[in-house]
Amino acid sequence: MFTTYAPLVVDGLADAALIFFVAVGLTLVFSVVRILNVAHGSFYALGAYLSVVIGAFLAGRGWPALSLAALVISPLAIALSLGPLLERTMLRWTYGRPEALQILVTFGLFLILEDLQKLIFGVQPYSQNTPMQLLGTSRIGGIVYLNYQFLLIGLALVVGISLRLLLKRSRIGKLIVAVVADEELARTVGIDAPRVFVLAFSVGVFLAALGGALASPTIGVAPGLGAESIVLAFAVAAIGGLGQIEGAAFAAILVGFARAGAIYFAPEFQPVVPYLVMVAVLIVRPYGLFGSVGLRRI
Amino acid sequence: MTGFKLVASALLFACAIGSASAQTNKPTQIGWGVFTFTSGPAAAYGMPGRNAAELVISQINASGGIGGVPVKPIYVDEGQGTDGVIAEFRRLAADNTNQAMIAALSSANCLALAPVAEQLQMPTFMWNCDTHQLFLKDKYKYVYRTNSSTVPEFVADALYLLSVDANFKKVAIIDPDYAFGRDAGLIFKETLKALKPDVEVVAELYPKLGSPSYNTEISRLVSAQPDVIFSNFWGADLENFVRQAAPRELFTHSKVILALGESALQHVGTQLPDGVIVGVIGDGYWLAPDAQRKAQTKAFVESYRQRFNEYPVFPSFKMANTLYAVKAVYEKALATNKDRWPTRDDLIAAAKNLKVDTLTGTLALRADNDGLVDQIVGMTKKDPAYPFPVMGEMVRYPAGVVTPSVGTDPIEWIKGLKPSMLVTIPKPGSYK
Amino acid sequence: MFRYVFSLAVVAALLPIGVPWLAFVFTIAVSKGLAALGVAMLLRSGLISIGHALYFAIGAYAVAFLMREAGIADLLLLLVCATLITTVAGLVVGAFMVRYRAIFFAMLNLAISMVFFALLSKLYYFTGGTDGLRVATPTILTIQLSRSTFDIILQMSVLILMIASALLIDRYLKSPLGEALRAIDSNEVRLEYLGVSARGTIWAAYTVSAGLAGLGGAISAVAIGHVVPEMSYWTVSGQLVLIAVLGGIGGVPGAFIGAFFLELVQTFAVGLAAEAWNAIIGLSLLIVIFFLPEGLYGLIQRLERLRASPK
Repeated sequence: MFTTYAPLVVDGLADAALIFFVAVGLTLVFSVVRILNVAHGSFYALGAYLSVVIGAFLAGRGWPALSLAALVISPLAIALSLGPLLERTMLRWTYGRPEALQILVTFGLFLILEDLQKLIFGVQPYSQNTPMQLLGTSRIGGIVYLNYQFLLIGLALVVGISLRLLLKRSRIGKLIVAVVADEELARTVGIDAPRVFVLAFSVGVFLAALGGALASPTIGVAPGLGAESIVLAFAVAAIGGLGQIEGAAFAAILVGFARAGAIYFAPEFQPVVPYLVMVAVLIVRPYGLFGSVGLRRI
Repeated sequence: MTGFKLVASALLFACAIGSASAQTNKPTQIGWGVFTFTSGPAAAYGMPGRNAAELVISQINASGGIGGVPVKPIYVDEGQGTDGVIAEFRRLAADNTNQAMIAALSSANCLALAPVAEQLQMPTFMWNCDTHQLFLKDKYKYVYRTNSSTVPEFVADALYLLSVDANFKKVAIIDPDYAFGRDAGLIFKETLKALKPDVEVVAELYPKLGSPSYNTEISRLVSAQPDVIFSNFWGADLENFVRQAAPRELFTHSKVILALGESALQHVGTQLPDGVIVGVIGDGYWLAPDAQRKAQTKAFVESYRQRFNEYPVFPSFKMANTLYAVKAVYEKALATNKDRWPTRDDLIAAAKNLKVDTLTGTLALRADNDGLVDQIVGMTKKDPAYPFPVMGEMVRYPAGVVTPSVGTDPIEWIKGLKPSMLVTIPKPGSYK
Repeated sequence: MFRYVFSLAVVAALLPIGVPWLAFVFTIAVSKGLAALGVAMLLRSGLISIGHALYFAIGAYAVAFLMREAGIADLLLLLVCATLITTVAGLVVGAFMVRYRAIFFAMLNLAISMVFFALLSKLYYFTGGTDGLRVATPTILTIQLSRSTFDIILQMSVLILMIASALLIDRYLKSPLGEALRAIDSNEVRLEYLGVSARGTIWAAYTVSAGLAGLGGAISAVAIGHVVPEMSYWTVSGQLVLIAVLGGIGGVPGAFIGAFFLELVQTFAVGLAAEAWNAIIGLSLLIVIFFLPEGLYGLIQRLERLRASPK
């Protein structure tokens, strides 16, 4: 019994952790900037590619342990370079415009980034699982688990709690909450709203790229990664309620377990599961499990 | 109205360029469409094919081409999806200087292209895909498969398993979710059921082709505790699977069969223990005794290694053998039609029932245009001469033993197999 | 409009003679254009559907299933039945879809199209899985023609269908039901006060747009001869919205102009810069959004007005 279901729990949580990183970034950006960023998945993919490349470089130079650092360096690099740049140029133009246009601008960005990715990193699949190997395995109850999975779960908890603390306790967090609640009023009080937007967007990019980087040691990185991850991120963010951080966490766990569980009990339906859950939730609660109309909250 | 005039004249110009003149005299070049994966996860398998094509065609052209005419390959990336592949096929077929298509790698694309090839009357030589469904219900005149089908390939794996270890009960299958994977699951299961009826299949998983991660599937496999695990993963899927499964001790707790395993030995072989059953779905192993005995093959292996920095894997041989077979088709057609350059129909006539020696054995085309190739299976074994494991305890099953005859329903044939055949077939290690 | 129709008809008539594979591109462009027209209709009311590939795929797979299970082989019958099936699907889905607006409308459409995609991919023994299903060459009035002849007739039929749909939808958009769509975008409550049901208007438009997408998918299935689950993937839906906006939602020709632009760029880019065609399309989209908010059709209209204005 334990040997059958314990791996399910670990897999479900590890899967949930990766999904959480991507979904929470999307939901944060939506909450502050009010834009559904279709290119969010591209940041995930870029995070994965860059961390694989840096990791391979470091491992090749004889510092395999530093490949773990690559997992954090690459999302930082991407967030710092692309975050402010894209927000100032493309996104800023779309504020106040019709939603359809906003989605399309980010879709155009997604298309461009997809090809940019192919041009920079090539079309061959990459694999860099040094971090996973470094952390080794643990044998629990006769089943071998990857310690890396436990790291993922731990990191997701850390990120989730940090975000919450950031938003509720820190000064910056309060500024963000203020802008989210009422932008005009916030500006009147003297809050630099444009800076808050840049910050929120960059954090979102960081989280997406982090998701990709953390996923990269356990997967094969190939073109198409961005497209897959964005639609899953949408699903999870929508299930949890767009703009709700706790919602994203809860939805990630729900979807993670649903997917892992499907492989054990109904493998034929595993890919359908996240979207079925999404349809079911949206029909009953259109604003997601934790969302509500009119109430803009983080 | 100026806009309209502009468009009309542009169109007439395009027509002039687009239409091709019929070639009955010696052309300036022969166009071959070569379809393989050069992007995405499948590229790990498709690039060795492309590399081999580049090598072989450059060698053919260096020695004067075919009948004095150089060959021009046009590479098509199957990574663009079936619809794009079909569109490319049509576009290339519309040009009369293109006389043959070497397509395709993926079983899905072959199934989609075969009727198109037939409609367009374009000679098509399927260099890699092996789904037995190809010639199952349909008869084709313009489509040939210059390699074996899934039936002999996976029956051979089952036979090898039973020859090596007959005491197992629980079997798990994990294959990619498309024709090739589904075929393999079915064929392997049915063969085992026919030859060892007390076998129990404890898990059958079909993750999507190109999935980046198999961690949950691996957990599922581990928890089901099977004695035997069969997989026909290929390309980056295979490499990812090995990388993700090895630390979880999957290969040490179960006897694993990687039907297309040889293609990944140089990249991830070091993560495999000895004793993993691997195949080449055919006879294209560069260290096989037949390959080592042929001077042309040794030269091919050496040129390949010098140019591409690794040894050719079996997809490379499938491509090379196909190209040499197509060359043989041309030579036969040229000998038959001395007064003119072969047309597409001449090539089809020359390909009928062709028998050629390949770099690694022989290829015979049967009456239904399917290919007959021997099957080599072996187990991983460390070798001090190479930084990766090689295939040891090899066996070479003759094509006739593991392939149902023309017109027989393959699954019915498999069901009719008797355990007594295990006594008469060659034993592991007998292929030296 | 007549000028466009005439030039297009001549161009299309010449294609099969000179450049057969461009005829194929034409047919595919029209099929995407029809689906994009459906998306454009909804865009008029401010509703963005990033799941219309669902109906495109339903139309395509309907053709494959009708051929396989019901033995229907006639081209006209196939197209009509597939469109009807898709319209009914749109009616059913639309029934609860009309309660949503904005982002939630988009997300729910996306979700349903992805469920369909996942089902198509997984139910291997029923739908052929990721390999898809083959669509044999249909008959024309019970006559089985050679593929090349069939392609010519298909292209001509598609041309007629395009013109017919364009005229029909144009009329629809100029009718009260169609004009009401714009009203929903600007102020839905005001429309309700006028006694017009916003939900009813949207439902009607949604059903019609589903039918259009289904027709497009059916044409695509017949032209390519193969249907795959990717026809329901979200990037296809994104493409349809892209085509609608690129071409311009101001008028019916916009969707077709956008579709032709996309297909031509794709065809020629694959030969020249295979790895960059997504980026080219993306950039074109951004350029159009920033500088030509009314799309290419809007640009053409503006040029026409400039030419027509008294000097």
